[in-house]
Amino acid sequence: MSQTAALNERIASPLGRPSYLADGVTLKSWLLTTDHKRIAILYMISITVFFFLGGSAAALIRYNLIVPEGMLRSAETYDRLFTMHGVIMVWFFLVPAVPVTIGNFVLPLMIGAHDLAFPKINLLSWYLFIAGGALALYALFAGGVDTGWTFYAPLSTDYAEGNVVLLVTGIFVSGFSSIATGLNFIVTIHRLRAPGMTWYRMPIFLWSLYSTSVIMVLATPVLAITLLLLAFERIFHVGVFDPRIGGDPLLFQHMFWFYSHPAVYIMILPGLGVVSEIIPAFSGKELFGYKFVAWCSIAIAVIGFFVWGHHMFVAGQSLYASVVFSMLSYFVAVPSAIKVFNWLGTLHKGYIRFDAPMLYALGFIGLFTMGGLTGLFLAALAADVHLHDTYFVVAHFHYIMVGGMVSAYFGALHYWWPKISGRIYPDMIARAAALLMFLGFNLTFFPQFILGYLGMPRRYHSYPPEFQVLHVLSSAGATILAVAYLMPLFYLTWSLFRGAGAPANPWDAKGLEWQTPSPPFTANFAVTPVVTEGPYAYPTPGTSQPHV
Amino acid sequence: MSEEIAPHVHFQYANARHQAETAISGMWLFLATEALLFGGLLLAWVVSRHWQQSSFDAGGRETVLWIGTINLALLITSSFVYSTGLGSIEGGQPRRLIQCCWITAGIGLLFLLLKFYEWHIDLSEHLFPAGPFKLHGAEAGGARLFWTFYFVATGLHAAHMTAGIGLVLWVARQARRGAYSAAWHTPVEVVGLYWSFVDMVWIVLYPMIYLVGRGA
Amino acid sequence: MNKLDRRLVFGWLGLLALAAIEFGGSYLPLPRSLRPLLLLPALAMVATVALLFMRVATGPAIVRSFAIATVFWLIILLGLGTLDPMTRAVYQVQSTELP
Repeated sequence: MSQTAALNERIASPLGRPSYLADGVTLKSWLLTTDHKRIAILYMISITVFFFLGGSAAALIRYNLIVPEGMLRSAETYDRLFTMHGVIMVWFFLVPAVPVTIGNFVLPLMIGAHDLAFPKINLLSWYLFIAGGALALYALFAGGVDTGWTFYAPLSTDYAEGNVVLLVTGIFVSGFSSIATGLNFIVTIHRLRAPGMTWYRMPIFLWSLYSTSVIMVLATPVLAITLLLLAFERIFHVGVFDPRIGGDPLLFQHMFWFYSHPAVYIMILPGLGVVSEIIPAFSGKELFGYKFVAWCSIAIAVIGFFVWGHHMFVAGQSLYASVVFSMLSYFVAVPSAIKVFNWLGTLHKGYIRFDAPMLYALGFIGLFTMGGLTGLFLAALAADVHLHDTYFVVAHFHYIMVGGMVSAYFGALHYWWPKISGRIYPDMIARAAALLMFLGFNLTFFPQFILGYLGMPRRYHSYPPEFQVLHVLSSAGATILAVAYLMPLFYLTWSLFRGAGAPANPWDAKGLEWQTPSPPFTANFAVTPVVTEGPYAYPTPGTSQPHV
Repeated sequence: MSEEIAPHVHFQYANARHQAETAISGMWLFLATEALLFGGLLLAWVVSRHWQQSSFDAGGRETVLWIGTINLALLITSSFVYSTGLGSIEGGQPRRLIQCCWITAGIGLLFLLLKFYEWHIDLSEHLFPAGPFKLHGAEAGGARLFWTFYFVATGLHAAHMTAGIGLVLWVARQARRGAYSAAWHTPVEVVGLYWSFVDMVWIVLYPMIYLVGRGA
Repeated sequence: MNKLDRRLVFGWLGLLALAAIEFGGSYLPLPRSLRPLLLLPALAMVATVALLFMRVATGPAIVRSFAIATVFWLIILLGLGTLDPMTRAVYQVQSTELP
């Protein structure tokens, strides 16, 4: 390599010039950092590990289901696998995912601040996450738990074998990580916006993070007390959920779902925010209906607290309460639909570029819509009697969580990767991975809608032979999906060492984060920025030349 | 004056007042999470009592009323004392603040000692909901529900009290080192918020534990 | 004693008085439907602590919005949460003693 090329390589290397990455290279400087960007990286590595652990459990589940009697031949093992998959994916991947990685990194940049309001609490939240995760993983691997991620009493309190108390303790601890992050975000957004950044000049991603944080802060404590009561009952063999002393097992479900339904909005709202960033950037056009989209984020967060009973239609809940929850569940779908229409309005007559982030975002729109609509089928009382606890439910929430949220996470990762790492990833491979993921996803989960409709129950390790074709299709799709997930792991890592250096604004997007170098300095901004325009001030199409 | 304030202002804040108000907002938000934590427990109380009202109340009659009532009066007083301490440092009197902190911590410690004694009484009377139980027959079920709630609620509250006492003692120590002044005393206010909240929780728990099933 | 101190003393005495009312009130022969009124002194005490000791009314506006949001969410938790138990059709079962 010539001397000039070597010099260029060094300049392009993020470690060759001042940036948050070069600011201290010891392990201590990473493990004791209070820089939100470094904490985001710590989290990113952690949740990637959890994603592949939860994904491995899923792979074994799908492997088991390719023959009717179950390849693993053991119902207990299967039960432990789906519990492991659910617990890891919900609490250690989806709930943190975008907020703690992309959110931690981008939020202060987007509002023009030097850091979050409470940087040390931010670091504490990572350590709480790791501690909770370690406890949970130990419980899951040292014998496992077979209750499902929902831990219903009296199975979890009385009859289950396995490390239930240890597992719920791990989840309890990680819940405080969630609360700490949410608290930090809310206070930061209220208090640390740059001069000129009014609420209506904030990017939608921040409205989404704010809404997510409200849910994190208000719902997670109820999970904490629920798990505490569960642990009490399991340890002492008596408690408020015990029908033998007049307690109510349904009380567990009420308390659990009071958290867990809003939790699904914790999981999806950041994804909605990410898509609201990517679509305008790659259409070169202002977001359609900004105020509607902003307030819909808040509406989803608030109304999401009113609908939890729709998980309990056939559990013994009163018909009157079921009717109320069903109606409220229809209301909560409206703000999500409004967002979808606003994205379509943004795309309309835009100058659309099909880079990898955009492919993920477009896939999101289709898959999220399908997931959302099928949720409405389930919210209808009469239909739910037939569909509850079948693969229809499994397909519904995977369309939203995997088709939607995981796509959005990958989209966000690809969109902000140049900013975070200072590197460009190979474009064509990235687009191929996105398309492969869309294909693999649909092959995996569409057959599950049919399976559910035909009556295949969920959480069963074996099934009647007439369902085998659909199961085999689903498992084949899962294999393709696995490849599509592994591809970014390889080429993004490759880009860290061999990728071209990234400019400050590789996508020509609007937003304060793109005004900083890639990767940014530790202090983010040398001079506090002053904001004078809205977040999507793209030139109106037809009035000036869009950048190619 | 500015040298007193400037060292405390962290780099992401515009000025000291901005930082102080942010810290107070942060504590209030944290207290909101605590309220929902205890709120879930309240729901468990309401629902449990709904299903087994007479036996739940029978369980409630076994609580040690005098200890609970004295503890209520103690906590109310401690909130008053700490607020007085906060007022003192706002008037630039760190010594009064330190005294108030010691008194507050002392009251808190007395609360805990009475609580431990009360638990001792409860356990020796076989009121722990698991195992051999004081009440029998039709009254036993709901009473066990009550006493489950009792131990979880008072245990959780005691844990929060312990943390609160630690924080108040920390404030006293910092004040002795001259960290606070009329110009800057944000941690004093923030700890006061937490302490008053723990007081509030006891105010709500008191009738639910000691007055339910009592009287007419 | 300055004005603030005097308000705190009155607040403290007021709280003790409310506690006494609550204590005494529980011994009143109230009909079952009116017994929830006994919560009122406790709620008044909570409000007093929030207003006087925690200064919710004089602090930054954001603090008031957090406090109101908390109350609202507690109402949702307790209100919607008790909707099901209150409206369920109950089939009486003998309360059994644990072995």
